[in-house]
Amino acid sequence: MAEVSHRGDFFEASRAGVADTELRRKLENASGRHLEHVAEMRAEFPPFEAERDAARRIKQDTIAHLDEYLIALKGKLEANGCAVYFAADAEQAREYILEVAKKNNVKRVVKGKSMTTEEIGLNNALMRTGIEVTETDLGEYIVQLRHEPPSHIITPAIHLSKEDIGQLFADKLHTPYTAEPEELTAQAREKLRSIFLGAEMGITGVNFAVAETGTLVVIENEGNGRMSSTLPEVFVGVMGIEKVIPKLEDVSHFLEVLGRTATGQKLTTYTNFINGPRRKSEIDGPREVHVVILDNGRSAMLADPVMREALYCIRCGACLNVCPIYRRVGGHAYNSTYPGPIGSIISPNLFGSAAGHLPFASTLCGACRDICPVRIDIPRILLHLRWKETEGAGAIEWPRDARRVRKGAQRFAKLARYPRLVRAMGNIGSIVLRPISHDGWVRRMPGAFRAWTKIRDFPRPRPHRARKSSDTSAS
Amino acid sequence: MAEFHKLLARLKGALEKPQAPAAHENHVPVTPVPVASIAQRAELASSFARELEAVSGRFLGVLTADEAAARVALLARETSAKSVAIGEGVTTKMSIFSAALETAGCALMKPRGIDKGQEDARAAMIAQFAATDIGIAEAHYAIASTGTFAVMTAEARPSSLTLLPPISVIIVHIDRVVSNLAAAVAGFGVDAIATNRVSFITGPSRTADIEKRIVMGVHGPKMLCGAIIWPNE
Repeated sequence: MAEVSHRGDFFEASRAGVADTELRRKLENASGRHLEHVAEMRAEFPPFEAERDAARRIKQDTIAHLDEYLIALKGKLEANGCAVYFAADAEQAREYILEVAKKNNVKRVVKGKSMTTEEIGLNNALMRTGIEVTETDLGEYIVQLRHEPPSHIITPAIHLSKEDIGQLFADKLHTPYTAEPEELTAQAREKLRSIFLGAEMGITGVNFAVAETGTLVVIENEGNGRMSSTLPEVFVGVMGIEKVIPKLEDVSHFLEVLGRTATGQKLTTYTNFINGPRRKSEIDGPREVHVVILDNGRSAMLADPVMREALYCIRCGACLNVCPIYRRVGGHAYNSTYPGPIGSIISPNLFGSAAGHLPFASTLCGACRDICPVRIDIPRILLHLRWKETEGAGAIEWPRDARRVRKGAQRFAKLARYPRLVRAMGNIGSIVLRPISHDGWVRRMPGAFRAWTKIRDFPRPRPHRARKSSDTSAS
Repeated sequence: MAEFHKLLARLKGALEKPQAPAAHENHVPVTPVPVASIAQRAELASSFARELEAVSGRFLGVLTADEAAARVALLARETSAKSVAIGEGVTTKMSIFSAALETAGCALMKPRGIDKGQEDARAAMIAQFAATDIGIAEAHYAIASTGTFAVMTAEARPSSLTLLPPISVIIVHIDRVVSNLAAAVAGFGVDAIATNRVSFITGPSRTADIEKRIVMGVHGPKMLCGAIIWPNE
């Protein structure tokens, strides 16, 4: 299991996130802009829904034949001159990359954006051996300077304002303070350009790996992915086993939906097809290309017929932007490499019981399912994981109030087997709660029920007869 | 190797479930759109120009090679460019550009292959690209629906040419402007893509990492200029 999954406590962090009105303003601002762009892009591209269906069909087929496509991918990559390594877990992946770095006497590494390398805790492992690691995606660079993890899959520094970043650069890069995004970007460009030119190893994630041709597809806007895979002598692409796709012609279906959903673009600025080391006489491109293909819990997801669908994810990050929970607590509250709705379903499988509570961090509103470019039914998987947790050993350490509420709910579930008793309780509750309810809601319940109303209102039960008559009139 | 076989065993075990229908059964293979008439070509060029400008690219026009060279020379003067790197053409004679830019007083750099063992020369050439003001390349395809150039690398058309200089100029022949991404991928063909690096470039380098505000020129070119070459027929 990765070391990155055990930071802090979700309940404390989410409470702090909700109380932080400035954080909420930043998240609402950024995710609101994103959703506007996505809506525009979708509206002006009528085949969008058909492309979503095509992308889902391809993922469905790929995941159902994953072993065959991985064999084909490995064969093609090796034929193209790449070294391929299958890592069962994060530790094996880290060790392999460290070994490659050691063999090539690597002192400086530049990294393009990669959630998979965050998942395996690669940066710390490299830095512990004295290697200088620089994140080169602007957002990742910003959070690296703050020694904190990204808070969003696509926009790592979404929780920071331009003023926060201006102050950070002034403190860490010793540049004149400015809060202008153009000037801040220019400062980062100047600093990072010389680092690119001096690095011996480049590492990026991989968006898609085409089994038919052994092509690694790396998508980005800044050019740092191109730099990392072009300038250093050694390039390492790190991907999960689910990133393989069968054919070259499949790529366009994914690209048609990915850019539009991830960033509201028709196509991201750079879509890079990497096929192996530079050929004889070529000026640039890496001398060595290594591809690390990571399992780390994914084959266990594959074995669960409901969870399997989570492997369709193409990491667009759109589900985070629409999620009412993410937009209130922010990415760091999830304490996982993968926050938001998608993180809530994959983190328990990748990081074990430390993330077991995340499936409960959802209102099940379904906005994530509606925006997902490959139509992953995230609410269904969340319910499945909740059921598994409830039926299983119960490894989650719930806070005291939550424990009380859950115990109360379990007792109610037993009583609910007796409808007459429930009706009688409803009638009594309606009378008892009438003096302390307003507009049909109780803001503060007495006694043992107080834990419930600490963070939510309680609906005042209606007397059974009244309910019956209103049901009749409605029909 | 042992790990690969262990993984396959895990996957096979996990997949002992009813299989989904193959995705490709209902798919019709995509073929490049044949560009037959002048009207069709004009429409694709117009759509490409609109999309390029929508992604903050600068469209220089639908021009002959001579006109394009003159426009690029003018651009060099406008931006006070002192040095220009010119890559190998795909269908266009790039010597036309060299002549125009030399006349405009620019120092020219032409990428050439590096033999094995000449690591210093390789590093020096990359550093030279980084110090060059304008990089000029010819794309294999342009995608009308997205304003994208598709550039395949070659010995004398390295990736650095369209990545390191702050101003990137990319030209494309009118017959190679295709309607969509699928057509461009199909145009390259499986064999070419399996053996070459290809960059699909849609506008200048950009970021929205600071408060979702779009800023150009993070790592790659700050300015991307495009021209469609339509020779006199």
